[in-house]
This record gives sequence, C-alpha cells and structure tokens, in this order.
Amino acid sequence: MNWYIRRTLQALLTVYGVITFTFVLIRIMPGGPMESMRAQLIQQHQGSLTTEDMERINRIVETRVNIDPDQPLYTQYVDYVSSVLTGDLGQSTWHQAPVMDLLIERLPWTIFLMGSSITLSFALGITLGAIMAYKEGTILDVGLSSYSTFMTSVPYYVVAVLLVYFLGYQWDYFPIQGRMAPQTTPGLNYPFLAGVAYHLVLPVISVVITGMGGRALAMRGNSVRVMGDDFIRVARLRGLKPRTIAIQYVGRNALLPMYTNLMLAVGFMFGGAIILEEIFGYRGLGQLMYSSIGNRDLPLMMGCFLLITMTVVIALFIADLTYGKLDPRVQSGERHESF
Amino acid sequence: MKERLHDKSNAQQTQDPIYQVRNVSVAFDMDRGTSRVLDDIDLDIERGEILGVVGESGSGKSMFADSLLNAVVSPGQLGGEVIYNTEDGQSVDVTELTDEELRKFRWQEASMVFQGAQDSFNPTRKIRTHFVETLDAHDADIEDGMDRARELLSDLYLEPDQVLNSYPHELSGGMKQRTLIALSMLLDPEVIVMDEPTAALDLLMQQSIVRLIREIKGKYDVTIIFITHDLPLLAELADRLAVMYAFEFVEIGLTDGILEEPSHPYTRALLNSTPNIFAPVEDMTAIEGSAPDPVNVPTGCSYHPRCPMATDACVESDPGYYETNANHGVKCHYWEDVDNAIPLQVTADETRQVDVPAYGPVAMGTDRTPVLTLDDAEVHFESSQGLFAEPDAVRAVDGISLDIYENEVIALIGESGCGKTTLGKTAIGLQRPTGGSVSFRGQDIWDAKDGHGDVEIPHEAIRQSLQIIHQDPGSAINPNRTVRHTLELPLKHYNDELDMGDRQARILGMLETVGMTPPEDYADRYPHQLSGGEKQRVTLIRALLMEPDLILADEAISALDVSLRVEMMDLMLDLQEIFDTAFLFISHDFSNARYITEKSGGRIGVMYLGEIVEIGTVDEIINNPKHPYTKSLVWATPDLDETGENEDVPLRKIDIPDARNPPSGCRFHTRCPEARETCARKKPVLVGDGGNTHEVSCFRDVPNHEYWDSPELMNDEPSDETPTEK
Repeated sequence: MNWYIRRTLQALLTVYGVITFTFVLIRIMPGGPMESMRAQLIQQHQGSLTTEDMERINRIVETRVNIDPDQPLYTQYVDYVSSVLTGDLGQSTWHQAPVMDLLIERLPWTIFLMGSSITLSFALGITLGAIMAYKEGTILDVGLSSYSTFMTSVPYYVVAVLLVYFLGYQWDYFPIQGRMAPQTTPGLNYPFLAGVAYHLVLPVISVVITGMGGRALAMRGNSVRVMGDDFIRVARLRGLKPRTIAIQYVGRNALLPMYTNLMLAVGFMFGGAIILEEIFGYRGLGQLMYSSIGNRDLPLMMGCFLLITMTVVIALFIADLTYGKLDPRVQSGERHESF
Repeated sequence: MKERLHDKSNAQQTQDPIYQVRNVSVAFDMDRGTSRVLDDIDLDIERGEILGVVGESGSGKSMFADSLLNAVVSPGQLGGEVIYNTEDGQSVDVTELTDEELRKFRWQEASMVFQGAQDSFNPTRKIRTHFVETLDAHDADIEDGMDRARELLSDLYLEPDQVLNSYPHELSGGMKQRTLIALSMLLDPEVIVMDEPTAALDLLMQQSIVRLIREIKGKYDVTIIFITHDLPLLAELADRLAVMYAFEFVEIGLTDGILEEPSHPYTRALLNSTPNIFAPVEDMTAIEGSAPDPVNVPTGCSYHPRCPMATDACVESDPGYYETNANHGVKCHYWEDVDNAIPLQVTADETRQVDVPAYGPVAMGTDRTPVLTLDDAEVHFESSQGLFAEPDAVRAVDGISLDIYENEVIALIGESGCGKTTLGKTAIGLQRPTGGSVSFRGQDIWDAKDGHGDVEIPHEAIRQSLQIIHQDPGSAINPNRTVRHTLELPLKHYNDELDMGDRQARILGMLETVGMTPPEDYADRYPHQLSGGEKQRVTLIRALLMEPDLILADEAISALDVSLRVEMMDLMLDLQEIFDTAFLFISHDFSNARYITEKSGGRIGVMYLGEIVEIGTVDEIINNPKHPYTKSLVWATPDLDETGENEDVPLRKIDIPDARNPPSGCRFHTRCPEARETCARKKPVLVGDGGNTHEVSCFRDVPNHEYWDSPELMNDEPSDETPTEK
C-alpha cells in the first residue's frame, strides 16, 4: 500500500516541478515571456514613455503573468505557485480573459475528440492485430501487415486534408469545419449530440486509420510471442476452449505491454490535436494553443503548456496505479514504473 | 546366443499394455532435408508402471512425449500408430482421433507435465482459475473436482487454499512444479507423461518430488512415463528404463537390469560419465564426440561414430533388438562383448578408498596469509515497501567469515536462493557488503576502492586479481566480437607493455592449451560459431589472461551437458595448477562440487539462507556430514547404488522459508528432522573441533548442550514462513 503513497507524492512532485519550471521560464530567462510582453506593450504605446506609463505597463505584465517584478524573487515565486495552484493561470493578452476559463471551455471538446480517436484506434488495432496473429503467415496476415505498415507511415494530417477535400468539399457528405451543428443548444438533446457526432466523424477517421496500423502491428507481435509461450501449449493440452485461450490467455497477456502505450498516447493527444483541430477548424484546445502562438499570447501558451504536462503526469499516474490490476506480477508496484 | 527378434514388440513382457507404440516417427521438413527427430519407435508401456526414458538433450525424448498425446507441434509430422488401451479393453489409435476426441483424450486419459512449470501457468490468472477452467472445459463437476484438487495438493505437501489463491509468480519453482503435477492429475487420468519435470529444480527438491511422485502413483494408480536426461534420478524411481540415443530407443529393460548389466555401449558410457558422489573420481569419463544431427543420422548403428567397439558391421547394418534376457532388449550387434570393451566404473562399495589428493588440505596448519578474507560479511538487500513501512531486508549473506588460501579450491553449495552467488560476488568485490569486511591479502577491498586509509594494494590491482566466470557463457561474451578480439581486451587493458605479436602469441597459446585447435581458426570465430563448452572455455581464458589470484566460477558448468562437465572441470583444475589461482566454485550440485574439490584437495562449504552451516574437506563433508542440512543434501544427490530404497525425505518441510523472514534460532529448524525446541530459540554458531578444518553450526555437534534435554519440536507449530507472504 505504501508504494501508492510514494507514487502519489512522486506525481505531486512532478507537477510542482513543472510549475516551478514555467516560473523559471517566465521570470529568469533573458528575453523571456515577461521581457517580450513588456516590449510588446511599449511598442503598442507609441510615443515617449513616462515613468507613469512604465509603471502601468509593469502592472499589466504583472497581472497577466502573475508575477510582480518588484517583489523579491522568492515572494514572486511563492505568489506564482500559489496562484497556479488555486487555478489562476493569469490573463490572456489576446482574448482579454482569464487563461483558466479559456482552457476549461475548450478542454471537453478536445478530450472528446482525441479520446474517441484513441479509443477507436486502440480497439480496432488490437482486434486487427489479434486476428493477424491468429492467421499468421496467411494472405490475410501478409495483406493486413503491409496495409498497417503503409498506413503507419502516412501522416494523419495528409489523410485529414484528403478527407476534407473529398468527403467535405467535393461530395459534401460531412461538414468541413466546426465542432457542432449551428442553431443547436449545448446540452443533452438529440440535435446537439447528433451534430457533435457528425462533426467528429472526419477528424476521428483520419486519426484512426493512420494510428490503428501501429497498434495492430504491436498487438500482432505481442500475440505471436505469447502464443509461443509454454502456458498456451499447456492450456491447449488441458482442453480449454479455443475462445478462452484466445481471450484469456493470448489476448490478456499480449495486451499488457500495450497498456502503458495507451496512457502515453493520452499524454500526446494534445500535441496531436494542434494540427488536427487547425485542419478541421475544430474549436478545441489545440486550436487555442496554435492561435496563442500566432498571437504571441504568452500567458495562454504557458497555461497550455502546464495543462499538457499535467495530463501526461496524471495519465502515467493512473497507468501506474492500475497496472497492477492488469498484471498481478507487478501488484506490489516495485518492479514496474511506466516512465 | 544371438537371437534376432522378429516381433517388433521387442524385449518387453507386457501383460496389459496401456500404450502400444508402433513405427512412430516424427519428421520436420527443413531446407537442408528432412529432419527425423523420432525414428521408427516401437514400445509397449505396461499399465501401472513407471517407465523412465533417458537420453541426452536433442535425442528426441520430448518428441516421444509429445507423440504419446498426439501433441507434436506443427510443422512436425507424426507417423505410425500410437495405440491406447482403455481399462475396459477398448483400443484407440491416438493419431486417428478427431480434434474433439483428442481434446477429451488429453487430460482425461493422458496428461502431461512439462519441464517449464515456471511458464506453464497463465501469469494473469490465479491457480484456482486454472483448476476450475480445466474442470469446466471437460464438463466435470466443479465441486467434486476442487475437492480432489485440494486432496492432490495436500498429498504433494502443499497448503491447498494458500496455493489456490495465489498467482503463479507467487509460488516458488518447486511449488509450481508440484501444483502442475496436481493439475495434471485433476481429471483422474490413466497416464501421466512427465517431460523433465524436475530439471530446473534443486537436487533436494528434485529428490523430494521424485519421492512424492512414487507415493502419489501408488495412491492414485496411474501409469507414469518419466522423461529425463538424468539417469541417477530414474534409478530410484522407474520400474523400467528406456535409453534413447539418436531418436530411437537403444536399450530397454528393467531398471535393475540396465543399471547392473548395461548392454549397449552408449548406456555404459552414459553411466560412466555421470558424476556420482560416491564413485572414485578417476573413473569418471566424458563421452567422446557429439550427438548426431537429425537430418543426417549415421548409417547402420547411429552410435558407431562414437562407439569404441564399432566395426564395419555397425556401419553397414542397423542392429535390431537383441534379447539379453526376457526383460531386456538392446540394439547392439556386440552386446555380449561390452562387458570387457567398456568396463563400468568401479562402484562405491567395492573399493572405496579415500584417495589422498596430490597435496593435503591447503587450509590446515599453514600460517600463510589467505588470498582473500571475508570477515563477518553481510549483504542485506532492502526491498522497501514505501515511506512508512519497515523495509524488508533479504539477508542474502548474513555474517559469513571465510578465508580462501593460495591455490585453494572452495566449493559453495546450497539450494537456489541461499545466497551463494551473492557471497561469491562479495568475495571478488563485485558486491559491496552492507556489513563486515572483505580483504585481499590484508587490504580491505572497499577501502582501496574508496581511498580510505593507507591503501597498500591499489584497487586496480585487486580488480585484476579477482575474476569471474559466469553461468551462461552465451551472454557473457559479446556476440559481435571475434574470440581474438574478446581475448585481446583484458591484455590491452592490464598488460599494455605487450606488443601485438606477444598478445597474439599468448591468445593462440591459451586457445591451444584449452584444446581449441587449430587456434588460428578458433581465434577468428564469432561466439555463435562455438559450442557451449567452447564458449565457456573462452570465458575461462579471458579470466585467466588477467593472471588473477582468485576466480569465482558461478555455476560455470551447470549450463553444459552432463558429459561435458567432467571435461570442463578437469580443464579448470589443469589450468589452476599452471596459473596458480584459487577457485571459488559455486554449484547447486554436490557431485560436481565433490569432483572438483576432491581432485584439488579443496574444501566444500554448505550454505543455507545466507549462512555457512558446515564447511570442511570433501571427505569430511561427504563421508561424515554433521549438519542435518548437509545430510539431506547428500541424501538428495543421486546415487546409482541406491541402498535404502524407501527412505523418507529427511526433511520436515519441503519448501525453503522466505528469506525476508527467516526462522528464529537455527534457520534450518523448520525443515530439520532433528529439530528440538532449543533450535527454535537459540542460534548455533559455526565451530570447529580443534585443529580440524571441519566446522559445523549445529547443537547436535556439541555434547552436553541443552539441546539434548530439550523436547522435540512439534510439527504443527504456526508456520511463519509462508512463501507467498506479501
């Protein structure tokens, strides 16, 4: 049990480290975010600066990045950490709104988009991989393996652009952008949910058909390896039903190494979301981050950065805590750490 | 009177055969030809017997096991007939069964126990699930079945509920193997095929399991086919023996008949090459040559290339079975002459003389400083469970003092997990002790490394003087480097005044010394072009090129075939004399330890749970063991001249206690048949009896100790050493 406590503390320490790192980035780096924001404001000011103007600019910078340069360094640090921990990530310069609110508004959409993409690509990839392993060496296996290898090497955004072009512009089957149908009210009503699902189709497809191949190949390899293990042979001799062997013996054990991969994929989903959301004009977190770079909206960029790191830390934390449930050999947690 | 048998059922007087194997072959199609890994086998197996099948690795014994259950792995092709006779007189040909019939046949009529019990269970399911799903798959009553499972498990000295609720990885190797035996008997099969069921286990566990198999066979009335490479193991277990060589049975007969009058040259060679604890060392010889390639089996008698008696007739015609007597068949044209041509090694009770080694025990009466001194060394591994829990310490080495003298050979033996490897690594400075000290010629190794105090011998020099040979030569040599390159490195590193020519000369000279000729050829090979024995020689040379004073040989011969072991040990001893080194030889096998120490006049140390419980010369340890644990190890070492056939296991419990939570008092008291209450409270120390090399840590060695007045320990004391404890 104590391992869990240690693991939790470790996760908290990582989160704390990330916050500190963003502080260092903002405050200490020469020409860092604070400097450039000040320079930006000075440029916008036009005309000569009085001391008053300077003070005003400093105040603005201060509220936006949560750092008061007049305080001693450690006070600044404590202030910054405590405001981040209380959910105050500063003020977006472009949107003129708290970063936290912006993130919270976008977050569910991205989680929904990437969550369904990852779930689908894993589910399909694993099924396909298991089938390939069982048909090892047949035409089906060779064909699917070649297909998977090919699709893995195609970037998802290429597929995305093709999908938008053909299914969106040319044949008009699916909406080419947006995240919900117009004139629907968000909530648990059919028109809204149907619209959301409809808008989700193209982006999800482009991630799934490119991402699934790699999972399928990994699953195939794992399954083939497990099928060579002695306990499979013993299970066959014991007369177990092929279905039991396929699911409980081969599948279960071949899945184990995929689990950490899944959790890592969760961590990377925001990175992937940037381009995907841009292509489909999907107003999610990725698009927000992309535009913040374009707008030089530093507090917002910092907020996104923090959020992504937190997600990775939390995903790995969950992976570690639950891995023991999947594989009893690591129940004590001593020998397994996914990072 | 040579009489060629016409009936292929060969020399077996079976009344009620449960299996009739006829013309069975297994073939694999390979690029370079058809590989016949089972070649036209005929054999009857009597209902209710224990048939021992013995052969070297690669002789086709596993294929024989598989073919009995029609479980040959594709692309292997099984040919011939495997007739199975049920108790009520029906006969079926196992090779003709449909998939569904076969599914029922296996495990209900005939089941199998594999060597790899470690991998025979699904790691993600509990043991109970394995039992339940087996019952379920065969539509058996779950409740009755589980009752039977519990009974089987407790018959095998396991605690049923504890085992059933465990995951496979929570059980020790011996426990898993016994659980697998229980699982194989779950559906009350008529036949159990056991394929090397004890190969991966310690001798003591092997012997215990063999006893249990015999007990269980009596109780449940099954036929057992026991397959192994280990002839001595079968001597005690099997009713009949079948010796396999080159994919066929070369000799079949009653166990006693085969052991007393082996009539095939191969059987005799096999017997002679088996290290035997009581047989004189000089008589052990390795079998020359190597086993044939299944694609290219020699014509005529397949043994003729290795057989000292071979004639043209052997090359031309394949011998059939000759009957030496009603119960004994042999495939050799000249079986009547083997007695003279290949004499058996002298057996123990005839001329057992304590051979005086070339020089007396090194440790005695010398005032030389030892090469290496361990003083109360401790290595505790902490497996901390978190911030707040008391860390569990595995006391791998717990307060051991030992002196190793110049040129001495010390063998450490003990079951796996007793800490012998850790002790070895501590001795040569690869493992930092958590307590006590390790010194090389008076210089503390770790002080030298850390630069504490006055360093008389620099760490670099110590490092060079203490070398190691690992168990698995395959992973100890870089596969991408030639032998020459591998051997050059130590020379370049420690002996840089040598020029290239000298280096080459040394390497080639060494290769020649160890018998790898022509050396130029071997020097340019890569490890995968060498056999296991040759690889081990390369690691031996690599260690010796450093001109060390002490070499740790950690199970260095365990990975080799039995027939190669004696050869390798001889080589190590020859080189030891040439190079003036001491050896610390770690083994789990008493016979090997005896062989190497007896030839060199060394000592044997017996370890149990991190402590040395007895140490002394070979003679003292083998012929006069004092510690009950040593006695049980000696008991467990296969002995061809089995006398007390039905001796009980000299242990109260079969399984070793958890090293994280060792028993109080004497650590052996939980298993010791002689334990009394004192043993659970007080801890004996290692003491000698004055001027002798023999030291033992047991109260029984102390006259007038309170032990003798103490009541006997009850068996049902609370077991505080459940191995599955978290």
